[in-house]
Formats: sequence, C-alpha cells, structure tokens
Amino acid sequence: MQLLLLGVSHHTAPIELREKLAFSMDILPAALGLLAQQADVSEIALLSTCNRTEMYVTCRDLTAGRESLTGFLCQYHGLASGDVTPHLYARANADAAKHLFRVAAGLDSLVVGEPQILGQVKQAYGIATEQHCTGATLNRLFHQSFSVGKRVRTETGLADGAVSVSYAALNLARKICGDLKGVTVLVLGAGDMAALTVRHLHAQQPGRILVSSRTLAHAEALAAEVGGEIVPWTETASAFVAADIIVSATGATRPIVTRDRVAAAMRQRPTRPLFIIDIAVPRDVEAEASEIEQVFLYNIDDLQSIVSENLTRRGAEVTRAEAIVTEEVETFAAWSRSRSAIPTVVALRRRFEAIRQAELVRLQPKLNALSPDARNRVDEVTRLIIEKLLLTPTEQLKALADRDTLLAYSDALNRLFALGPDAVDSDESDENGGANGPPSMVVRS
Amino acid sequence: MAILTFILYAAAATLYGLHFAQRRQNVGLAATAALAAAVLAHTFVLGVYSVHVGHLPIVSRDEAVSAFVWLLALTYLYLEMTTNERAMGAFIAPLLALLFLIPMTSHAPVERPALLDSPLFAVHAVTAMCAYAAFALAAVVSITYILLFRELKRKQPGVFFARLPPLRALDVMNLRAITVGLIFLTIAVIAGVVWIGQARVYAPNDPRVQAMSLTDPKISVALVSLIIYAFQIYARRILGWGGWRAAWLSTIGFASVLVNLLIVAYLVTTSHSFD
Repeated sequence: MQLLLLGVSHHTAPIELREKLAFSMDILPAALGLLAQQADVSEIALLSTCNRTEMYVTCRDLTAGRESLTGFLCQYHGLASGDVTPHLYARANADAAKHLFRVAAGLDSLVVGEPQILGQVKQAYGIATEQHCTGATLNRLFHQSFSVGKRVRTETGLADGAVSVSYAALNLARKICGDLKGVTVLVLGAGDMAALTVRHLHAQQPGRILVSSRTLAHAEALAAEVGGEIVPWTETASAFVAADIIVSATGATRPIVTRDRVAAAMRQRPTRPLFIIDIAVPRDVEAEASEIEQVFLYNIDDLQSIVSENLTRRGAEVTRAEAIVTEEVETFAAWSRSRSAIPTVVALRRRFEAIRQAELVRLQPKLNALSPDARNRVDEVTRLIIEKLLLTPTEQLKALADRDTLLAYSDALNRLFALGPDAVDSDESDENGGANGPPSMVVRS
Repeated sequence: MAILTFILYAAAATLYGLHFAQRRQNVGLAATAALAAAVLAHTFVLGVYSVHVGHLPIVSRDEAVSAFVWLLALTYLYLEMTTNERAMGAFIAPLLALLFLIPMTSHAPVERPALLDSPLFAVHAVTAMCAYAAFALAAVVSITYILLFRELKRKQPGVFFARLPPLRALDVMNLRAITVGLIFLTIAVIAGVVWIGQARVYAPNDPRVQAMSLTDPKISVALVSLIIYAFQIYARRILGWGGWRAAWLSTIGFASVLVNLLIVAYLVTTSHSFD
C-alpha cells in the first residue's frame, strides 16, 4: 500500500477555486463516504480549510489513485477537470508525509507558524476515524503529524509572538496580567474595532467587562453581546480604578484619556499594573500616560510593529522547524519500510499454516483414535511450533532498515517457500519507490 | 563526591541555559533531572559530612555556603515542580554551581566549638539559611521581572516575553518569597540575640562573643538586609511600591545578603568566625 496526497492550497490555487473545492464540516462525513466508494483507494482523510483542500489516501497504484481522486474532486464539486487539474499537486509516501508534517507544523500556512492549522488537522483526522475511513497507515501518519506540530511549537520559535493586532493585544494582556479569568476589562467606545478586540478578550472569560460609550445604544449592544456592564460615559473614574485592561477605540478627534486621569486612577491601585490598548485613530490616550510606572500603553502602531517583528522572527525559525520535520519524516519512512515486510510475513504464515493443516488432515485417521483433549493438544502444540519458528524471521524482517535488502529478503523467502506473487509488496517497487524512494510526482498540468 | 555534585550543578546550569535558548522539552527535563541529581548528591555530601563531624553543617563559613546552596536548590526544585516554570532555572543554576565552588574547595572539616552547643544557635543558623534561600529566590524572580518589565515598557517583546511568566505572577512570587524570608530572618535575629546573652555568660572572654554587637559588620549588614526587606513590605502596603520598585528592592536586598555571606564572612567579620 502506498500513501498518496492530492490537493490544492493557497500556493497553487486562487481563492475562487479554493472556495469551490472546499468541503464544509457538515458535508465532510458524507463526502468521505462517497470517496471511500472510489476504486483504487482504501484509507482516507480529508483536510479542508479556507487555505487548502487535501485528500490523504492509501492506494495500491499511485497513478490510478491520483486519477480516481482527481475525478472525485471534479465530479463532487461539478467542475471541469481542465479547470482543476492545473492547480492540483500530488505527493506520495515520504513526500506526502513530509507535506502533512509541514502543514501541521504551520510551515505551509499563509501566515507561517499560525496555530489553528494543527487543530484543523486533528479535526480532519477525528472525522475520518469517526467514519471508519482510517487504518494503520493514516493513523500513524496523523498521530505523528500531531507530534510534529507540538514539537515545532515547543522547540522552535515558529509559533512565537502574535501575527495579528488583536492576538498581539491578547498576548500582551496575558503577559502583564497573567490569567485573564479574574481581570476587569474596561472598553471605551463600542465601534467595530472595540467590539473585535473585546470579543477576543471575552473568549478568555475575564471577571468583568465594563462598557462605556458616548452612544448608550452602542454600549448596550456590545455589553449584551459580551455579558458586560454599562458604565455611564461621564462616570468612568471608578471604572479606571477597577480596570486591569482598558481598550480604547472611540471616534474622538483628540485624546480623551489624559495622563492626569490615568495617574489619578493609579494612585488608588498603585501596585496593580494597567494595560491600555489604544486602537483608536487618532489616538484616544495621551502618550505621556505610559510614563506612569505600572501603566503599559500600546497604540495601534505599537501593536502592528510587534506583529511585523514577530513575522520576521518566525521566518528565522523556519530552518529549525524544517529540521524537525525531516527527522520525523525519517521515522515515518522507517516505519513504512517495516510495513513493507508485512505481505511476506503474512504469506509465510499462511504457507506454514497450510502445511500444518494438510498434515493434520493426513493424520486424521490416527488422531481420531486419541481423546478430544489429546487432539486439542496436538493442534495447539503444532500451532505453537509454527509460531516459534516464525517469530525470529518476522522480527528480523521488520527490523530491516534498508529497502533494497528488505526486497531481497522478501524475494528470497518467496522463492524458498514458493509464497506466490502477493508475498512481496510490489507497489513499493514501482515508479515512486517506497517511503524512501525518489521525489514523488508533482502534478501541475 | 563533592566534585560529582559540582559537575551535576554545572551540567544543570548548562542544560537550563540551553533550555532557555532552545526551549526543547527534552533539554528542560534533562536540566531538571540534573539538578535533582545534584541535590541528591549534595544531600549525600552534607549527610556524610555531618555524621563525620558530628554536627549540622552550619558552623563554618564554607558549611554555611554549602547549606545555603542546598536549600536554594531544593526550594527552586519545589517551585519548578509546583509551577511548571523552568525559565528561572537558567538564572538559579549558574548561581548554585558558582557558589558550590566555595565549599568544594574548602579544607579540613571543622569541629564545633563548645560555645555553639546551644539549640538556639542551631535555630539561628538554620533559619538564617532558610531566609537567605528565600531572598535568593526573590532576587532571581525580581531580576526576571525587571527584564520582562523593560521589554514591555519599551514595547519590544522579545526573548523574555516569550519565556518568562506574567509580570503579575512574578510580582506575587517576589512578595511571597520575601515574606517567608523575612519571617525566617526575624526568627534568626531573635534567636541570635537571645543566644548572645547566653554566650556572654558561658564564654565572656571569647573574642568572638565580645565582638558580637551592632558594630560588627556581619550583624550590621544582616540588619541592613532585614531593614531593606521590611521596608519593601511597608512600602508595598503604604507607599504603593509594587512591581518594579519591589523587584529592585529584592535585588538590592539580596546583594546585601551576598555581601554578608561572602565578602563580610570571609574578609571582615570577627564575631562569626568559627573555623
């Protein structure tokens, strides 16, 4: 069996085509069911996000498998093959594993290192297992991809730092205030920008959210959405004292939060840090407020600057992340090679079992003279002899690291025991080699 | 065995440093394992030494440094296991390895003078060591606070932002550590004062006993440390000096502790020279 990946991503297809080829969560199980009915493929997993649609399958023949998957994709979405095929890419065996590992690590993402993709890979695998579409190969492949994703995130700085303004603000809030569960958030203004940032903070379940806006109706709408309390616009002094985080995004044309106002509040809570996120343009908060010791003031430019620095830093971590991927691909390839021994092992066991059964049938007249217990014992003893005889050769065969040696051993066993054509995994020896073979096909036309 | 202990402390320092730079989970686990092994080896060294000399290793200056290193390592390991934070190991472990060089290169074991037979002396010495270990921990926490605070104030989150716990958590850890340290140091001072009264009766002509007064550098520097930490708690409650200022006070306080433990003890004092 070989591993095959066929898909499109933001690297190869425009968003218009990616939208057409996507499988939403509600249709994914049914699509897996249909795909499972295709000839030439066995195990299946389907990864569909806004940036990619990828099908991971196992098949006996790569060319037939590729054609089958392309046909399914076009037919399912009602698209002409000529419109889709130029944007498709295919990878086989080790290259397919490498691709998934890079995807799970965030190396193939539009924003390198973004964390959501690992969750999406896990979700895709979860749905495939629920539909009973996975087997030994995809189970191993996906579990290893989760491990790669985790390793890259913990051992490199690839996922470090936020790469969106909202997320940068959230990270800063966590680093200043610690666990956000008990903090008080004060929102000044209730426009789109304020609402977007507060939604991010709301997801962290802060202790209280206080909303204050010149337009009461806006404040009420936002407060209702995030379970906040309304603070009258003219009575925010006590809210300044209570707040750990202030999000300011009003449409004011000049600063509404002065240094003196912040200083007055800080005098009443001097040991507790205050994080002010000023995402208004023009700015709502006087820059001098950041001179107060426990005040951390970040405006939209500061946050954008952090984002761009993080992106640069992530770029520098790519080499280390790629090294982890390469290491893990080697491990997967070694496991795949050991799997290549399975047909030979199975055929060998069948051969021995056939001989055992034939001998038992030949001796049937003599065995009939024995008691049932004695007959059972003969059966068990002969079975155990075969088990023990085959144990060492099985282990030795599976432990072979070199693919050519494995094929030579399998061939030798095949000839010595006349195991038949199925005894050697012939698919492993076709055009794309096994997991250790040469770079696999890349279909672009 | 002392050399092995030093090697383990040095290995832990290297591994914690590597873990700080690379953040590889395996390296972090190896660092913790190396430090735990160092503490075990150190416990063995102290145990054998105590059995050999017949008293707790709190009499000589070298013994005091060794006990301090052991206590600090043990306290840090406890902190790491309860918080699952390894970043501070990169600051603590090198300090442990460097300080352990002093007892490692010390000479013959010291016999305890009859003057120190009092249980009050044991209470004084043990609580002082516990206080110094807590202050060391507070200092490391505070230094990391200052580094992170600077990054956040300069609006350039970087190395420390990615590795250290949140500011507020560091501030709370600092407060807890110095509170514990201050309690121990207060007990140490009270036990020491009462013990001096006994010693003046028991050995009035002993020059060390005669030197035990506020003018003795060892005692006056210890009181300076106590005042710095007590002021920090006062300033936090009354003046609102939390975070940044508290962190600086902890750092300065521990500098005074190090001066007492190393410079004063080895070069100046007369009252605490028992080796």
